[in-house]
Amino acid sequence: MPRDLRTVVPILFAIAFIASPFVGSPQISDWLFRVSTLIMLAVSWNLMANAGLISLGHSAFWGVGSYAALLSANAFGLPILASLVVSILFGALLGLFLAVTTGRLRGIFFAISTLALSEGLRITAFMTPDFTGGAVGLFLDQALRPSTTMLYVIGALGAVATVVISYIISISRFHFACRAMRNNEGAAQMLGVNPYRYRLGLLAISGAIASCAGGINAWYGGYLDPEVGFSLHFTILSQIAPILGGIHTLAGPAIGSFAIVAISEGTRIFFGQNEGFSQLIYGLVLVIGILFMPRGIWGALVAGGGWFSRPAKPVTAAPSKVQAEVKP
Amino acid sequence: MDFFGQFFVDAMLLGGIYTLMVIGLSLSFGIIRIINFAHGEAIMLGAYGSYWALTILGLDPLVALPLIMVAGMIVGMAIYKISIKRVLTAPHINQILLTFGIGLILQNLALISWSADERSVNPPYAFDSMMIGDISISTARVIAFAVATILVVGLFLWLRRTELGRASRALAENGDAAILMGINVTQMYGIVFGISAALGAATGVLLSFIGAISPFMGFHMLVKGFAIIILGGLGSIVGSVVGAFVLAFAETWVAYYVPGGAGWSEGVAFALLFLILIIRPRGLLGQAVEE
Repeated sequence: MPRDLRTVVPILFAIAFIASPFVGSPQISDWLFRVSTLIMLAVSWNLMANAGLISLGHSAFWGVGSYAALLSANAFGLPILASLVVSILFGALLGLFLAVTTGRLRGIFFAISTLALSEGLRITAFMTPDFTGGAVGLFLDQALRPSTTMLYVIGALGAVATVVISYIISISRFHFACRAMRNNEGAAQMLGVNPYRYRLGLLAISGAIASCAGGINAWYGGYLDPEVGFSLHFTILSQIAPILGGIHTLAGPAIGSFAIVAISEGTRIFFGQNEGFSQLIYGLVLVIGILFMPRGIWGALVAGGGWFSRPAKPVTAAPSKVQAEVKP
Repeated sequence: MDFFGQFFVDAMLLGGIYTLMVIGLSLSFGIIRIINFAHGEAIMLGAYGSYWALTILGLDPLVALPLIMVAGMIVGMAIYKISIKRVLTAPHINQILLTFGIGLILQNLALISWSADERSVNPPYAFDSMMIGDISISTARVIAFAVATILVVGLFLWLRRTELGRASRALAENGDAAILMGINVTQMYGIVFGISAALGAATGVLLSFIGAISPFMGFHMLVKGFAIIILGGLGSIVGSVVGAFVLAFAETWVAYYVPGGAGWSEGVAFALLFLILIIRPRGLLGQAVEE
């Protein structure tokens, strides 16, 4: 594809995405809203996975973002954008906390810590009813609620901004440092990458994005309880979208998000409201994807020469780039 | 400290069940180097197995236990053959997501087939209890503790005394050397994974007459299981036993001595987990784990 098209097509797509709430039907807007928040969640998960950090606790960020948004809005009468800033701050803080506590842990240790974090937060939310409303739940003050169209636009903007952020990261030194950390943390360190510092930055960014998505969704839903906010569902969605779309790629999480919402709507039409069926399909997607299609839809489409994906070439280029920037 | 005796007995009995629960998890990690996120589902299926054995066949859970363990072993070996075998040398991320996906499939098959309703198994001893002094002891929990102890001791004897057990320990110590000694690795891994699943199913049977059965019960146990093996040290089976009792005592202590503790005790596992990660990431008795 010509070089110009590579920039023009995504930009046109982004504009159409943001404009869709003004022209599409409410049903389509609702789907696209779910796609938007899922893109944010999936990109955030993929950012961590790029550095070899597998999160099994993205619902922790999602839940903290949801609670931060609704609690700050209700307490101070904040408008939606201001409350999302609160979500982003708390998400970044939680990311930093995770980075500090897990230190140099990788792989399984890191994955289990994230799982424990989200379960721990869920129980904390249950046990502090004075603050979070506990099992009874928490409603958004209806006077504050913006129009649905506005929520759709904010969701779409969030998704586009997230993809732009991940694009900027993918062409920066940060990306190559993360990639080197994923392949071999010791070697990365020898090349002058400080894994701990990068991890702090990465988890803060990733946490902030996922929390922001949770915050937007909380405004849309208007109700929260610990089972809704910290539901394992979001952890599953966050990992399954990048796996299906194409892990470690730029476009993969976004494509996967569209595919997942399509799958979940499809199962709802065929099997009715039983939540079990869509979860069952997610499990099948996960297992079949890992066993037979580890590079996902995008990986299969562009196998060999990537449009958005960054295949084999940069791997050899990366170390020299990093090396060149190391001061003696 | 009025109810210290009661606290001690309850914590001990809980620790026995936790030990059985976590030892299967620890076995598959220590030997196959696979961390099995579907282990909770083995527990859940074991509990349902016990429920249906009593409801349909009228079998007491303790009679059904060996049958369910055999079934668990077969299912475990089949899952190993179909899927786990393919990711043995894959990156951790693939192993974690694969077993997570298997767990998701099993959990939702159970949810679709048997609904989310909680069930319980009530053999004659389920509600019995005896009094020693002023300590009340639930018969069901004593039976569960005894069965768990027998199974755990049995596993240790198997690992120490039998040819297959020794072969699996050799694999854990040094896989390449074990292959050179003529140990059939794929077959051994299949057997170990099967035993791990059978121990999970046995845990489910014991839990079935202590608490409620639901499709989601396995996941809660799984997360606790992870906390325990990190506490004890990943890959160390003795460490897992220690970790199980540490968690049981900590949870029971919070439930007894902290106001509103019954709810908070569910969170103790996670608090302990973060504490140990900060203080001593290798766990209490852990070995260093290579990437």
